[in-house]
Amino acid sequence: MMLWKNTINELLKIATKIRSYIGIGALTLLILIVLFAMKADGKSYIGFVTASFEQTLSFNGKILNGNLIAFIIMQMLIVHVPLLISLVTGDLLSGEEASGTIRMLATKPISRSGIVLSKWIAATIYTLIMTVWLGFLSLFVAKWMFGTGDLIVLNSNGLLIIPEADLAWRFALALLIAFLALWTVATLSLAFSAFAKNSVGPIVSTMSVIILFTIIGTLDVSVFDAIKPYMFTTHMAAWRSVFEDPFPLSAIWESVIILVAHIAVLLGITLIRFNKKDITS
Amino acid sequence: MALIEVSHLAKNFGSFHAVKDVSFHVNEGDVFGFLGPNGAGKSTTIRCLLSLIRPTDGEIKFFGKSLNQNRSEVLARVGCIIEKPDFYKYLSAQRNLEIFARISGKDITKRQIQEMIDFVGLNGREGDKVSGFSHGMKQRLGIAQTLLHNPDVIILDEPTTGLDPQGIIEVRNLILRLRDEQKKTVLLSSHQLSEIEIIANRMVIINQGRTIVEGDVHELLEKQSMNLEISVANPTVFEETIQRDFASLTARLVYKGTYHIEMEEDIRQPLIQRLVETGCGVKAVIPKRSLEDFFIKMTEK
Repeated sequence: MMLWKNTINELLKIATKIRSYIGIGALTLLILIVLFAMKADGKSYIGFVTASFEQTLSFNGKILNGNLIAFIIMQMLIVHVPLLISLVTGDLLSGEEASGTIRMLATKPISRSGIVLSKWIAATIYTLIMTVWLGFLSLFVAKWMFGTGDLIVLNSNGLLIIPEADLAWRFALALLIAFLALWTVATLSLAFSAFAKNSVGPIVSTMSVIILFTIIGTLDVSVFDAIKPYMFTTHMAAWRSVFEDPFPLSAIWESVIILVAHIAVLLGITLIRFNKKDITS
Repeated sequence: MALIEVSHLAKNFGSFHAVKDVSFHVNEGDVFGFLGPNGAGKSTTIRCLLSLIRPTDGEIKFFGKSLNQNRSEVLARVGCIIEKPDFYKYLSAQRNLEIFARISGKDITKRQIQEMIDFVGLNGREGDKVSGFSHGMKQRLGIAQTLLHNPDVIILDEPTTGLDPQGIIEVRNLILRLRDEQKKTVLLSSHQLSEIEIIANRMVIINQGRTIVEGDVHELLEKQSMNLEISVANPTVFEETIQRDFASLTARLVYKGTYHIEMEEDIRQPLIQRLVETGCGVKAVIPKRSLEDFFIKMTEK
């Protein structure tokens, strides 16, 4: 009961903070810029990509459609959205410490674990809203602007054409996996937040970890091969696998399990840290 | 009945022993002064009482129950201000109180919140963002959130820090109202010794992380030597009399013609009689037995 009541408090705090709207605003602006750019010059962009296939393939129909734009937007933004999310989630505990309100909060009859869990649930809901907003803008607005059609996906195996009728569930699943990746980032920044006394540290630390792990993941050095499959950044783009054929179910399950395991471990670290913390501010 | 019992409390931060051995108890209905010089361990002790800091050793009981094992139950019956009350500055006073009311462990209506806003004199400002509040207004809002859930025990750590004289008087009057009208038990930590002397009935003094003395404020003060402040018309005769007849006493000149003398109870009457006899023109004799003197004596040991 107390957990639920404090979750309402946390959602209220997120909803009334300006920084919460920076992320949504930036996301909206970025997507609108991409949509505008594609509307203005999308055909030449697509022509550049399909040029190498035009010797052997003949493209009929509308290649530049809402589904392709949504796919492009998701690829472009999934790298930047973690920063926008950690702007809010990295502030959840450290912001209370910096403003001194943690003293007021921690002297109420709610357990320390209850405080962390309510903030984590609020962070989860915020991440879900960001993901849904990303999906809405990239899919529905793009379809409204560019119409619909089959999706052409260019991957390491070549060119894959996915029929329009087969796309709705794939986009839904892709967004769900993208949400899982962003949820991991939100939980990571919340964990850093439990160690910090201001929100700058957790945000910078979260982005540093993502950048570092991404670099390690792309380095073709055998010494890192053993850890690469277990780094959450390796699985942050797992949503792309949904647009492969044959459908790589086991690889997707593996990514889901690793991301969920990261969330569980990071939440556990946050709980232990915050429960043991002496509040001296 | 003791509502708060602290037994041999200790807290270490690494190799630093912030609190070494603090014990005291607060009875129901007490306004209990919690005193000590800077660095004595007052804030650490109070944070331990409110479970902000985990003690290294010792036991804290509220209402006869261990704080450690009954944290939520205990905190639902305790209200507090730690140093300065901090609020969500981007929210209004009313919204802040709603947030804290929601997790107070009791069902608090909007009407009760409004009543509390009225009680602390913030009516008309409840819709304003806290970012625009003065320190005094925040302090009053802090008292409102402290009382919101009608706690049995109120812990106030330096509630007058940073307040102007008017603000100090307002807080003092609020505490007196809590004591007299609502019969609350108050633990009050303050550097304002005169405040403690006026409103506290019991007190503890701690120094260097240890309890120095605990007891009834007036009983403790009566045990110490009585000081007198004496104003005379003829200072020369006064000084000669003291040197000749009371050589063991030291008369410290406070300002022109007014002296401060520390003495044992039994010398007081003969001294006044002698001063009158020698014709030094005694204009006023004011007994001075202040908490300030007692506090300095206790913490200097």
